[in-house]
Amino acid sequence: MRPEREPTVSNRRRISRGSAALNVYGASFLVFLYAPLVLIFVYSFNANPINMAIWSGFTLDWYRTLFGMQPAGAAFDAAFTENPDRIYQVVRNSLIVALSASAISTAIGTATALATARFQFFGKKLYQALLFLPMIMPDIVLGIALLIFFVGAGFKLSLLTIIIGHCTFLSCYVYVVVSARLASMDTALEKASADLGAGPFTTFRRITLPLIMPGVLGGFLLAFIISLDDVVITYFIAGVDTQTLPLFILAMLRRGIRPQINALAVLLIVFSFVVASAGLYFRSRRT
Amino acid sequence: MSGPRTIERERTRALALLLTPITLLLGIFFLIPLGITIVYSVLEPGLYGGVVWSFYPYNYGRLFGWPLGAGEEFEPLYIQILLNSLKYALLTVIVSLALCYPVAFWVSRMSGMAKNLMLFAITLPFFANLLIRIYAWLLLMRPTGTINSALMSLGVLDKPLNMMFTEFAVIVGLVYVLIPFMFLPIYASVERLDWSLVQASQDLGATPFQTFRRIILPLTAPGILGGCVIVFIPALGNFIVPSFLGGSKVQLIGNVIERQFLQARNWPFGSTLSTVIMGSVMLIVLLYALGMRGSSSRAARKRADSV
Repeated sequence: MRPEREPTVSNRRRISRGSAALNVYGASFLVFLYAPLVLIFVYSFNANPINMAIWSGFTLDWYRTLFGMQPAGAAFDAAFTENPDRIYQVVRNSLIVALSASAISTAIGTATALATARFQFFGKKLYQALLFLPMIMPDIVLGIALLIFFVGAGFKLSLLTIIIGHCTFLSCYVYVVVSARLASMDTALEKASADLGAGPFTTFRRITLPLIMPGVLGGFLLAFIISLDDVVITYFIAGVDTQTLPLFILAMLRRGIRPQINALAVLLIVFSFVVASAGLYFRSRRT
Repeated sequence: MSGPRTIERERTRALALLLTPITLLLGIFFLIPLGITIVYSVLEPGLYGGVVWSFYPYNYGRLFGWPLGAGEEFEPLYIQILLNSLKYALLTVIVSLALCYPVAFWVSRMSGMAKNLMLFAITLPFFANLLIRIYAWLLLMRPTGTINSALMSLGVLDKPLNMMFTEFAVIVGLVYVLIPFMFLPIYASVERLDWSLVQASQDLGATPFQTFRRIILPLTAPGILGGCVIVFIPALGNFIVPSFLGGSKVQLIGNVIERQFLQARNWPFGSTLSTVIMGSVMLIVLLYALGMRGSSSRAARKRADSV
């Protein structure tokens, strides 16, 4: 689209030198983003149980022990292992929280996006401003506010309190994703449907919902992964017997660095990346 | 068939139905908890955790030196930690801005598919678990970690460089964790940049630096400002990064709040610190909103002048 000026010779040389430097810079930026994660991936296969920075052969032991399988390596120290039943339990907790919180938030966030995109009402600006606050408020402020509230209101800290806590910011997140979708959508079909005598509910079910579905699905998947990975808010509002996977990893890290953490981290990163990729794909898809 | 009046009534009902869930959710589980935090900040700490329901402004005295009473003393340490947290948040903003700004131009010059893939690649690490991203830097920077092992085996160092539990480690961690928030708004404004203006400036004989300062920088300023705000705010409250990479050397305000709630069990004082952060966030957001409004009306005036 942009009009290109015919570059003079000296200009052309300057531009190409500039873009070579920019390429190197951009590539190093990507290395900065990904090298730390690749490092964990490599370490997770390193048999050296003492110093991960020194390679002493390939092993799958760290993965095997996560699932309660016997390690194959001879020099395996049993003190390094976490109880697989415990891991299973925290993963289950995390999935329950992430699925419920993202499902509820998708419904609430989508409803809110429809209201602000398709209706004029008193206080709309205020609503739109309010919807940004839970996302921008530092996690610790929201976490302790919820802790004080739940304890004061007599809630027992449990999976339910975590789900409620996650819904407050995830709804706003889904709202933003679905709003973007609604804003880029052609309203002619909705108008036609209304002209033909369909009520708002029928129009929504038959026209609007199918058209915004990719945005809704994208919002759901991104909310799911944000909930699954949340550390700080969960940290304050989880009960003693309702640990989630990130809290389990936090406790593991506080006890010290062990090779098993690498294996667990790799599995979690892979899962997060797969779900987030799907979410980003749906969010950006055009109809 | 439904007449226009029934449709109007149905629309009102639909709107009420759509807005009720979010109103209840944010009203009960967001606004009320934040309100209670503010109330707690002026209550008296109970003997064993808990609170006493009487007006007690001295938590603020302990933090700011006024008002004092009921045995609370001014502890300048907290002001220092607060200022230190502001400094770390500011450094995080500066470093991530410097890292992201050129990359935004790099990506904006790519063509279709490559551009989308690159945007995806830069967004994706944000979805890796926060703890794991911090843990990776722990592996890299600790005395027996990757960087030290590599440098020592190459003979560059003869004893490990001490990177852990330093300012440097905390800034690196904060930048790494928050960088996608800086990149995306900057990229959005670089992508919208009108290159014909840059061209015109060069044609009129401006030096590259003049073009940058007078054209590129002002036009991308909204993205820069947006990125700075949404990096600064979470950096201000973060306590996970300093607790792993800063150890006991680097204490930020988030660490103090966490301790007030989970160890010292002085909830009112913790609430006071939290209220101060909340107030700073509201102030920053307000200034940002005013700034954006000001700049957009200034731009409109300029456009009107040039016609």
